[in-house]
Amino acid sequence: MLFFILFLLVHFLISPPDSYQAWHGWMRNSGISVAASVFFAALLLHAWVGIRDVLMDYVHPPALRVSALALLLFSLLAIAAWVMRILLMGPG
Amino acid sequence: MMAKPKRRRPVFFNLLQIQMPVGAVTSITHRATGIVLALCIPFGVYLLDLSLRDQQSFAQVARLFDHWTFRIAVVVSVWALAHHSLAGIRHLLSDIDVGSQLPAARRSAWIVNFGGAAVALLAAGVLL
Amino acid sequence: MKLSIFRFNPETDEKPYMQDYEIAPVPTDLMLLDVLLRLKAQDDSLTFRKSCREGVCGSDGMNINGRNGLACITPMKGLKYPVELRPLPSFPVIRDLVVDMTQFFKQYHSIKPYLINNDPTPERERLQSPEDREKLNGLYECILCGCCTSQCPSSWWNPDKFVGPAGLLQAYRFIIDSRDQATQERLDDLNDPYRLFRCRSIMNCTEVCPKDLAPSRAIEKIRLMMVKDSL
Repeated sequence: MLFFILFLLVHFLISPPDSYQAWHGWMRNSGISVAASVFFAALLLHAWVGIRDVLMDYVHPPALRVSALALLLFSLLAIAAWVMRILLMGPG
Repeated sequence: MMAKPKRRRPVFFNLLQIQMPVGAVTSITHRATGIVLALCIPFGVYLLDLSLRDQQSFAQVARLFDHWTFRIAVVVSVWALAHHSLAGIRHLLSDIDVGSQLPAARRSAWIVNFGGAAVALLAAGVLL
Repeated sequence: MKLSIFRFNPETDEKPYMQDYEIAPVPTDLMLLDVLLRLKAQDDSLTFRKSCREGVCGSDGMNINGRNGLACITPMKGLKYPVELRPLPSFPVIRDLVVDMTQFFKQYHSIKPYLINNDPTPERERLQSPEDREKLNGLYECILCGCCTSQCPSSWWNPDKFVGPAGLLQAYRFIIDSRDQATQERLDDLNDPYRLFRCRSIMNCTEVCPKDLAPSRAIEKIRLMMVKDSL
């Protein structure tokens, strides 16, 4: 995850995408989109573990905690679906 | 026998009056930045979506960088990312028994706190 | 010199308050407890626990200028004035600086702080090699004053489920004792999302321990044993 972020950073510093075509083409590069998919999967998994831990620490009433965790899971799954649509389907 | 009246038991728990060693500051900042970063995810995904949609939307995203409020938001997220990553690395190292003695842990906690701030300053220098 | 002390009398006070004390220093004021004892002679309503007055009994744990420590081994020299004294954070206050440690000892007992060995009792004692005995150093010295657990954020949020640094230090003390036969059971008992794994390696415990022990190290070693165990 960290390596992907550093890679992105370095890439943007060396050649910032100055046009839509360049950016779009780069993101459609299959290597990049696979890397981006792995990155988002790892990122969302990490967000799940992290926020779950925070909720376990501070939210004690069982009903409230279960609802908070369910809400979190739902949000993360929704984001995952959204990312998949962006990365795999493309704008058409 | 009379039931004992319930005793009042106050608790001293004022976080402003309890000293936080540097490691505690690093730890709570790690947590806070984690929450900030998690909240950034939907915005980041939205911007990614927009930037890949078409020419106009891409230009729209690029134009966002003209706003100083957006730039400040970016600097704050860069700080959060830098601090969270550095503290994360510190955590992983301590899990494999590197720097988990108190003096080393204190030193690395300072490094993380200042390192995060340094990266943020760098970002601010570039963007603002 | 000036001190500001947390006062609460359950019989008369609605709420706790801070009371300022002013006392002229004398040459025998070496440790904070010396001053507290002289204050108590002035105002006998001031309540705190103390016993051995040399850092062995663990009675006078309190929050000194924001940091937990034992009054009896905290030198007056180097303390910032006014010295602010409060009871151990997050523990229920019985009166003034005296706190209720029921929960703390409940967690301590939950780790079975005694040797479990089903072999027939030997004539004299269960022997241990010097190397095995060495492993108990830095663990057996704990006096259960509560300074670490009371300064631990993980214990603040889940005092009933997280064993806390003091209890976990003792858990490790028995886990690595060569004479103990319940090592696996002890590890299994702690392998739970709360009992051990609420520890975030914040290390406040090790920062404040008046005996210079390192509960955070002990917790880390238990974790490593669990990892090795699962491989």
